[in-house]
Amino acid sequence: MRDGRFLAVGDPDDLVATYGGTLDRTLADKVLLPGFVEAHCHKDTGGLWQYTYVGYEARTDPDGRSWPGCTTFDAVVERLREADRLLADPNEPLLAWGLDPIFWSGDRLDRRQLDAVSTTRRIFVAHSNMHLATVNSALMEAEGITPDTVAEGVPKDVSGWPLGELQEFPAMALAGAAFRSFFGRQRSDEAIHLFGKSARNVGVTTLTDLGTSNLLEEAIVSQWAGIVNHGFPTRVVMFHGAMQNGTVSDETCAAALVELRKQSTDHLRLGYLKLLLDGSIQGGTARLRWPGFHHGGPNGIWLIPPDQFADRLAPYHRAGLQVHTHANGDEAVDVLLDAVAEVQAAHPMPDHRHTVQHCQLTTPGQYRRIRALGMCANIFSNHAWFWGDQHISITVGPDRAARMNAARTALDLGVPLSIHSDSPVTPLDSLHVAWAAVNRLTPSGVVVGPDERITVAEALHAVTMGAAWQLRMEDEVGSISPRKFADLAILEADPFELDPVELRDIPVWGTMCGGVLHPAAGVGD
Amino acid sequence: MSTEPDRLPLTVIGGYLGAGKTTLLNGILAEPDGQRIAVLVNDFGDVDIDGRLLASVDGDVLTLANGCICCSMVDGFAETLETVRGFADRIDRVVVEVSGVGEPRKVARWAHLPGFTPDGVVVLVDPLSVRDRATDRYVGETVVNQVAGADLVVMSRSDVADKADLAGTEAWLSVMTDATVLQSPLPTAVLLGPGLRNLTAEDAPAPTSPPHDHVSISRHLDGPVTRKSIDAWIRARPGGVVRAKGLLKVDDRPDDRTVLQVCGSTTTVTVDGPWDGGAEAVVAIALPGTPRAALVKWLNLLG
Repeated sequence: MRDGRFLAVGDPDDLVATYGGTLDRTLADKVLLPGFVEAHCHKDTGGLWQYTYVGYEARTDPDGRSWPGCTTFDAVVERLREADRLLADPNEPLLAWGLDPIFWSGDRLDRRQLDAVSTTRRIFVAHSNMHLATVNSALMEAEGITPDTVAEGVPKDVSGWPLGELQEFPAMALAGAAFRSFFGRQRSDEAIHLFGKSARNVGVTTLTDLGTSNLLEEAIVSQWAGIVNHGFPTRVVMFHGAMQNGTVSDETCAAALVELRKQSTDHLRLGYLKLLLDGSIQGGTARLRWPGFHHGGPNGIWLIPPDQFADRLAPYHRAGLQVHTHANGDEAVDVLLDAVAEVQAAHPMPDHRHTVQHCQLTTPGQYRRIRALGMCANIFSNHAWFWGDQHISITVGPDRAARMNAARTALDLGVPLSIHSDSPVTPLDSLHVAWAAVNRLTPSGVVVGPDERITVAEALHAVTMGAAWQLRMEDEVGSISPRKFADLAILEADPFELDPVELRDIPVWGTMCGGVLHPAAGVGD
Repeated sequence: MSTEPDRLPLTVIGGYLGAGKTTLLNGILAEPDGQRIAVLVNDFGDVDIDGRLLASVDGDVLTLANGCICCSMVDGFAETLETVRGFADRIDRVVVEVSGVGEPRKVARWAHLPGFTPDGVVVLVDPLSVRDRATDRYVGETVVNQVAGADLVVMSRSDVADKADLAGTEAWLSVMTDATVLQSPLPTAVLLGPGLRNLTAEDAPAPTSPPHDHVSISRHLDGPVTRKSIDAWIRARPGGVVRAKGLLKVDDRPDDRTVLQVCGSTTTVTVDGPWDGGAEAVVAIALPGTPRAALVKWLNLLG
């Protein structure tokens, strides 16, 4: 290694003989893989850990502390009591996240349980889908949430008092300062540092923030540059979210991103764009082709009018920018592919690598078009584990569930492939994502769609070289190759020697990023 | 003396692309009918403000010479409404423009935030294309939901559409929605609701400038009305009434402010806080040709 890059790769003794230098044996008993590249996650991955975790599944925080799942009301209350005791200022609201009542067979948390934590401090508990929150009586009193509150999304008990659940953003916003604090603190320096720590713990050396920041705001870019360019444990690729353009036209935005790209460094990459077409499958808001949702609910929502989509895409395409578009449902993918075909016909752009993000219900025919149009697919493989059983029984039914997140089909049809966590939607953990794509296991023990499983080698390629290609960093990261950045995922076991079902259990020692070691939290303590 | 309502009425305006929202918003900003209106848009491209009208520009807020302001919602609803609440002393009401694929009924939920009060969901449709849009593979349900969720549907381009198109679309709308269906152009007081400032002024309860030839009427009340009279008032609403607003005390909640509201097909009765000392009054606006006597009789039911 030299200057943070691999100078040459080969037999250690030969390399020392040829290039000089010394043989560093620090990692001699470890297994070195290329640093993982997470091509679809969000900065909130770190920021949420500023609040108390009360989810059903156990999770590990960026500092390495493991938080057991809160599987009962009592566990939630106990966790919150502990957090309440640690807050010195009685006026500071207690913020928590990750609550998932779907596992509680119909019982719902309400203000009464939270009142058992505190009758004076405001408490705001966001549910795991981020579309609901539960608050306590102290918060309701402070913000004037009363029986007179007629807002939709504020369910009440038989006596007419609000239960404390606030459904969807217009109702959640009734929580006032606590609501604003919950989302506002996602922009703190601390949130960025926690993001980097989370990545280091799971072997990720290149992160993305997929469109959660408004990069047209200079202050946001300089905040990230100030942190990421100075000893940050990972590289970060930042996508501007075009949904936040506001007063700025797409043409102006495209020109600004071309300029912004010049501020890219080895650690911080700028000049990428994210668009959104539809919602989510588990939320019932994705746009599905016939026959729609298995549960019979209405088709989902559009976030950009389909007949405007090609016009939105065109300015970025013409400017030579890469556009990654959120498209969960197969109907959304149709709109995206038609738009790319249209802009390509008008302004042929070789090697544009526009990428379909999520591709959960993408069909073999659509993968053929993705290939033919020169596009890439980034598949949300973690869904098999996190919602696989629900997809079989509720959202899309067993047949489509078996064909969801069709990584095997994509690879067989020659589509450049990556797979992702969409963290914080599912935890940031590339080995888990690879495990999900390899095994397609659900929590109930079903293998959902065995024909769409891929091999360990293919999955590891997808979270390294596959992702690097989609970020136009294939000559810099994604493999242990001469002249690339010296980025490594440092593991305690060899993924190729284990049973593939153990892939996600491999302990991660930490990372190397640009030749600098970053041990995971707790390692070497 | 402050008789300003402490809550800004918030009207939501939606409709698919090409339904005429830009024309309508420009009309409101050009002729705000004596009201100082804050128009919240997804981007400023959605309105086309005459530079001569512009008094100042401050980031995401444009201020017009006539007192209206225009804000972009780039920071999201919660933050934008927080910003607008800061202007409460210099505006009378808020209009929120919903994106062409948005559902106005869902956006209207934001009007329950402190500092605001909902004042109707108005959906524009292009009478020439709405029926085709409603069967479109991609946006059909969206268009259907927009119309179904409206209190008031306004058919734009009624000057260029021929009678058969208008009649056909009107018949179709009567199946698709319970909303009242009207044709553009309409006075601002009908689109957005009557101005509360005028309503609560002690000695001049007449609503804002006569809306074209629409019929408007108001009445001062003195002391609490009975809950029963409100129920009777709701049931007895005469045909032709498109807007009504009342701020009053009710016998079973004498210390609180009860708000009566009619927008198109929808009537709501809510309590929005303790009584603030303003006048108790009710105002109604009806379509041209509605007998004034029927309206007087209707408002007199409250007591």
